[in-house]
Amino acid sequence: MATRSLPILLLILLGLLVANLMFGAVSLPFKHIIEGFQVGNANYFTIHEYRFPRTILAMLVGAMMALAGALVQGVIRNPLASPDVLGVSHGAGLAAVFYMTFFPSADISWLPAVALIGSLIAALMLWWLCGQHSSTIKLAITGVALAALYASCIDFLMLVKPLEINNALLWLTGSLWGRGWNQLAMLLPWLLLIPCALWLAKPLNLIYLGDDSAISLGVKASTLRLVSLAIAVGLTASCVAICGPIGFLGLVAPHLTRKLVGGRHQLLLPSTMLVGAILLLLADLAARTIDPPIELPAGIMTAIIGAPYFLWLLFRTK
Amino acid sequence: MKRFFAITLSTLILCLSFSAPAFSSTQNGIHNSVEDSKGTFSLDYTPKRIVVLELSFVDALAAVGVSPVGIADDKDPERILKEIRDEIEDWTSVGTRSQPSLETIASLKPDLIIADISRHEGVYADLQKIAPTLILPSRRATYEENLHATAIIGKAIGKDKEMQARLKLHAQRMADFAKQLPEGKEVQFGVARDDALFLHTADSYAGGVIRALGLKNANTGRSDDAYRQTSLEQFLAVNPDYFIVGHYVTPSIIDKWKNEPLWSVLKAAKNKHIYSVNPNTWSRCRGIISAETMGQDLIRVFSANQ
Repeated sequence: MATRSLPILLLILLGLLVANLMFGAVSLPFKHIIEGFQVGNANYFTIHEYRFPRTILAMLVGAMMALAGALVQGVIRNPLASPDVLGVSHGAGLAAVFYMTFFPSADISWLPAVALIGSLIAALMLWWLCGQHSSTIKLAITGVALAALYASCIDFLMLVKPLEINNALLWLTGSLWGRGWNQLAMLLPWLLLIPCALWLAKPLNLIYLGDDSAISLGVKASTLRLVSLAIAVGLTASCVAICGPIGFLGLVAPHLTRKLVGGRHQLLLPSTMLVGAILLLLADLAARTIDPPIELPAGIMTAIIGAPYFLWLLFRTK
Repeated sequence: MKRFFAITLSTLILCLSFSAPAFSSTQNGIHNSVEDSKGTFSLDYTPKRIVVLELSFVDALAAVGVSPVGIADDKDPERILKEIRDEIEDWTSVGTRSQPSLETIASLKPDLIIADISRHEGVYADLQKIAPTLILPSRRATYEENLHATAIIGKAIGKDKEMQARLKLHAQRMADFAKQLPEGKEVQFGVARDDALFLHTADSYAGGVIRALGLKNANTGRSDDAYRQTSLEQFLAVNPDYFIVGHYVTPSIIDKWKNEPLWSVLKAAKNKHIYSVNPNTWSRCRGIISAETMGQDLIRVFSANQ
């Protein structure tokens, strides 16, 4: 089962990549897609400038958010944990909404940087409150409390300044609309975190046995936890900065993957990246094709697909 | 890992291979150069296929008899004023104003896109890859800014003379309306949703039109916003002489408030100076044709009142 899943997932991913290039407000046959990569072709903008970077971005963001989720679930040893528990995405949301509300005429291209700073400050805040040696449960609960605090600040800002509510809401639901090569370039340096995360697979397996066993097997539990969470924060922060907080991905993808391939992190981490990429590609494809030319935010789609599936999963395991 | 490396590399190469100028300058005599929100914008041809991403730009085009091929109409043709719909030819919807579908825009093969600096600045670079993009204020724009943007559009599409004439006619019509309206009466416009009332302040488009018609804006307190959400008590503090309301839904919050004792204390309620208008005309459309419709609405209001 476990070894069979990987090629199947890869196949689905490939299929979705092609589907994302073919379908949209205007559907194109496969032949036109290949031609669309040539400069000067009638479909050059649609394919090369629009669908291709957006598709790659959806794949990377999906993979990175899912990987972050798997890391957090691994070290907090709780399958219900997700990067949202760290308050990172809400921190980014607060910074973004603050920026949009108080500097409505400022350049929108600074938004990713502002959101990134917000999420990193949120992570530092959590670290400052919990320190390096606190228990995972304290970390999780502090994170949830901070996330709730940021969320209420976001609500407050949006209620005080309702004029900007449209822009802010759009960003807060998480969307791939209008994201392209520039955003992809911004995401590139953060891809370095992926090999770092995969390298942690083995010690993450050991920490799953409990801190005491892990320590006796030669794992520095607290250091590992810090490094894993830092990587998860980096992955989430960079994705949220570009696409906004895309809900449920970091929670559902690792959970689903664990059902498919089991809990060994050597297999779980790469597979969860595939599942995350598949989910976001599917969500964005649906968002673009349900009611064209209306574009729905992909974040709504992940929540619509993710939440019921997650409930079903939970009830089935009981 | 190999996959990621390959993608990284190809992305880098593709990013570097961008070369910018979306259109080049040929000498065929026509050269329309204007200042938009991003600097100098020039076209050396008369655009034939125009896509507009805000309703106010449809108004500007219709004012000089030009039909856009695509409109971000939120997939609801009724968003365009009937007066304007009758003027222009059929168009293709390019989706919502907040997130227009770039691939639909590209499929229309436009030779000019008119975008809103408030909504579309984030995709300005992408729009420019599709066609030369004129970016102007619409959403947050005041009446004066809107007139300015309308004049710029006229110049950019090679209809400067027609547009100037139309703007002059507009000023004339507004002055005529003003003569028929009682001078200096205090008028407040607001849109009522299911759960909230938003007053359009002196800084809003509607506020500017009210002033242009020789009427007075009510004092809505803090003046940093074009639209202010207002509770019943806050509304009582504003207490305008005349209240013009656009109901986005029926029944709206105003229908609920009508049964409250506080409502009956309002000057406008006591004197029966509350009137309903089409919220689309008054709030969303923002253009010279809609401003004239607003003027006619107000004349109806005040003549019914005498």
